[in-house]
Amino acid sequence: MDRRTFIKLTAITGTSATLASCGVPEHQIIRFVPDEELVPGVAEWKPSVCPLCSAGCGLNVRVMMADVDVTKDGQSGVVRKGVAKKLEGFPTHPISQGGLCARGQAAIQITYHPDRIVQPLKRTGGRTSGTFEPITWDQAIGEVVGKLDALAGADNTKALAILTGGRRSHRRLLFDQFAARFGAPAPIVYELFSDDLLRRANQLSFGAAQLPTFDLANANYVLAFGADFLGTWNAPVAQAAAFGQMRRGRVGVRGALVQVEARMTPTGATADEWVAAKPGTEGVLALGLAHVIMRDKLHPTDSGRAGALIDGWSAGLPDYNPDRVASITGVAARRVERLAHDFAQREPSVAIVGGVPLAHTNGLFTALAVNALNELVGAVSRKGGLSFTPQLVHAPAAARSSLAQFAAGVVPQVLVVDDVNPVFGAPRAMKVREALVKVPFIVAFGHVVDETNVLADLILPDHTFLESWVDALPESGSAQAVVSVAAPAMKPLFDTRATGDVLLQVASKLQKPIDLGATTYDAYVKAALAPLGDEAWSTAQKQAGWWGDLPKGAAAPSTGADAKPSPVTFVDPSFNGEAGEYPLQFLPYPSAAFYDGSLAHLPWLQELPDPMTSAMWSSWVELNPKTAERLGIGLGDVVEVTSMNGAVKAPAFLNPALSPDIVAMPVGQGHTNFTRYASGRGVNPIDILAPVTHEDTGTLAWAATRVKVARVSEPDGRLIMFSARGELRENPHEGETR
Amino acid sequence: MAHRWGMAVDLDRCTGCEACVTACRAENNIPTVGDLQASRGRAIHWIRVERYFEGEFPDVKVNYRPVMCQQCDAAPCEPVCPTYASHHNDEGLNAQVYNRCIGTRYCANACPYNVRFFDFFNPVWEKPMHLQLNPDVSLREVGVMEKCTFCVQRIAAGKDAAAADKREVKDGDIKPACVQGCPSKALVFGDLNDPESEVSRLAESPRGTKLLEDLGTAPKVTYLQGVEHA
Repeated sequence: MDRRTFIKLTAITGTSATLASCGVPEHQIIRFVPDEELVPGVAEWKPSVCPLCSAGCGLNVRVMMADVDVTKDGQSGVVRKGVAKKLEGFPTHPISQGGLCARGQAAIQITYHPDRIVQPLKRTGGRTSGTFEPITWDQAIGEVVGKLDALAGADNTKALAILTGGRRSHRRLLFDQFAARFGAPAPIVYELFSDDLLRRANQLSFGAAQLPTFDLANANYVLAFGADFLGTWNAPVAQAAAFGQMRRGRVGVRGALVQVEARMTPTGATADEWVAAKPGTEGVLALGLAHVIMRDKLHPTDSGRAGALIDGWSAGLPDYNPDRVASITGVAARRVERLAHDFAQREPSVAIVGGVPLAHTNGLFTALAVNALNELVGAVSRKGGLSFTPQLVHAPAAARSSLAQFAAGVVPQVLVVDDVNPVFGAPRAMKVREALVKVPFIVAFGHVVDETNVLADLILPDHTFLESWVDALPESGSAQAVVSVAAPAMKPLFDTRATGDVLLQVASKLQKPIDLGATTYDAYVKAALAPLGDEAWSTAQKQAGWWGDLPKGAAAPSTGADAKPSPVTFVDPSFNGEAGEYPLQFLPYPSAAFYDGSLAHLPWLQELPDPMTSAMWSSWVELNPKTAERLGIGLGDVVEVTSMNGAVKAPAFLNPALSPDIVAMPVGQGHTNFTRYASGRGVNPIDILAPVTHEDTGTLAWAATRVKVARVSEPDGRLIMFSARGELRENPHEGETR
Repeated sequence: MAHRWGMAVDLDRCTGCEACVTACRAENNIPTVGDLQASRGRAIHWIRVERYFEGEFPDVKVNYRPVMCQQCDAAPCEPVCPTYASHHNDEGLNAQVYNRCIGTRYCANACPYNVRFFDFFNPVWEKPMHLQLNPDVSLREVGVMEKCTFCVQRIAAGKDAAAADKREVKDGDIKPACVQGCPSKALVFGDLNDPESEVSRLAESPRGTKLLEDLGTAPKVTYLQGVEHA
């Protein structure tokens, strides 16, 4: 067949196909008139804000025209709409600085997820049936208002409970304000990888209950205790940008990174030196350094308030001499001396603590020890050190119940759930699901059905961040104050509504309406930004946020500190499970792809090879090769990890960068009900955690569980590794020349 | 003067975060294949981050290395292609013409870097995930090879924008998706024919190495080694 004949033939078949479809209405494509002015093929860039973590990165969204399937007046067809095509970091935004992490880039799939809830849902069966029927927004809001009015009528407003995630934004402030004005207890905030313990330590040491900002770009020596600050902790994008600058951005100066941890994080993998201190003893190492620095007078001793919190500080920490530190931490005494000299002399230096060390039961001691070390070398509020970003508002310091207290406490009559999935993200032994099942009425906001909102009576589908006003209140990552805020980057795809707007509407429709100062969420945020001056609101919308020096009087007052906390001393971390029966420490860690598991529904992240294992679509258990050999376990073998609280089975990965005393598992998989991509995939290590919480903050000590491990069977193919293609050669220098 | 596109990867800046991997997937309409196909080695990543373990606990070291098509000047993938689908273009790129490709996979066998990927099936995007697709990048159908293009669509757009302004393309005008997204600025892209460009400067760095250069492939990606225990 020649080209000419081919074209003729396709023309004929094409025409007949068109003719055939003319008589059958369902074969016609109905095109609705678009209500947006867009030029086909030409991209527009719009600012937005990443909603995935508390960092609050400013985004640049590429918007282009596309045919979107819609239903209008009962008729389905397509309409041209401007839709988001790609997310990038907003070039001038101080947190993202043009870059964006792997998770942030995949956030676009939240908007286009095929399992999104497209209209309000009302449960039809029993509490655990998981069956829903669609209802209208008027019905849904009417029902919520009715339930709240009933509480108010019975003078029982305290029976309203609100449960939210920890992301810092005006949305959380709105929920807080709503609760306070309604007369309900302050919302319960739950984050698996909460940093509240560090905030508490910083309040005690420095009088600032917030996460620090590190001036890595000007640092010469960085000593990180467990903090995966280039991967998942605090503001990773801002920190990675500064880290690149620290390593290679200055002429003739290359800053060094030393990482102290017992399981190598991607940050540890990037470090110049890796120090495997025994888990839970990181604070002892920090004080060992402080001892040497004071003993050798390497730095003028500034016995400030952070030091005063450490028992024996003024006497030069005699209990933390290098020999004793070596016996506790497993780090040789000579190395302690060298690290101390380097840390004191390669100024400016700064120590960072976060993540695993603070998830042990003695986490507060560890944080206070590192704070004192920072103060000793003058790293606080110094170039190349750490500082506390001025805040427009602090999260209200209202006394809140912890999730554990909620689960064990009085059952509320009405529960509102927003941006949190504790049925997945809290230990089974905390019995959150059991507590939820008892609540008479639950209303949940969300994008897709998950393990928590499937128990709700009403699910009110939220716009995604691209479809609505979105904001964040970064508490760190930039030396200047930052408020990230942006208008919708595209029109909503479905019959969803912005949660902030819904809450404000509910507030106004109550029998005794609550005036929250605005009727829409954007007006609420605009009012909150008023102290920043007249230009702030319009400036912010052009560049995904406002940043700069806070005008006088706009800064939130310092959070202050307790009058006289008693000095702390090292105690061994305690664990749930007898060492005899459960010989290994269990370490669930935030996964590079899914963080705390809230992103496991995004297929791009499921197929993202893990940086340490190259695993995709899988759960795995990490064992040191020596431990594995002792237990007769090989790569891919299915093993069972058992704690006092349950057992999970997953394939083994042999990780030489892991202490032989530890079993590590990434958090994220093991969802039972979280869209087609995550449900029924792998296992959830949080399930078997002991519900051990920190005294001071009520946060979970997620590294305080002991386990035993046993081989179950041969590899069964459930560990899927990209490197199986053969990319990860054994010789790292193979093929390098020069 | 013709352009000659190249890249430099500063391993001292790379943190192994894989932002580049996701950026590439978003930009280039790379499908996810799912667990079953991934377990058969059919997952597609035009750029990947390789990880190397060295030593034993506790003296263990890990190195990361982002690897994409090295855009070789003497590319082993090109002469083996019977249909000239895999060819060298005027600007030094190893280009792949999808509708010439007949799927012999000779190029993938010849490539020492394992950066060519075969489409074992037509890609599927569950609606409305198709709305994310980048209209500037063609979708690849079953039976063809695909690979990193250095974001040829961005190169074209950068040249068009410069031409519209009646000027030459400036260093830094054009950034492939991986370079744009990298938080620590470990990746640098530019014109190796421009001696003033950042990438030319880095290509001359004493830290510079080329991957498997002894095979004679003349790669245009330079890896700048980190410094241990500085």
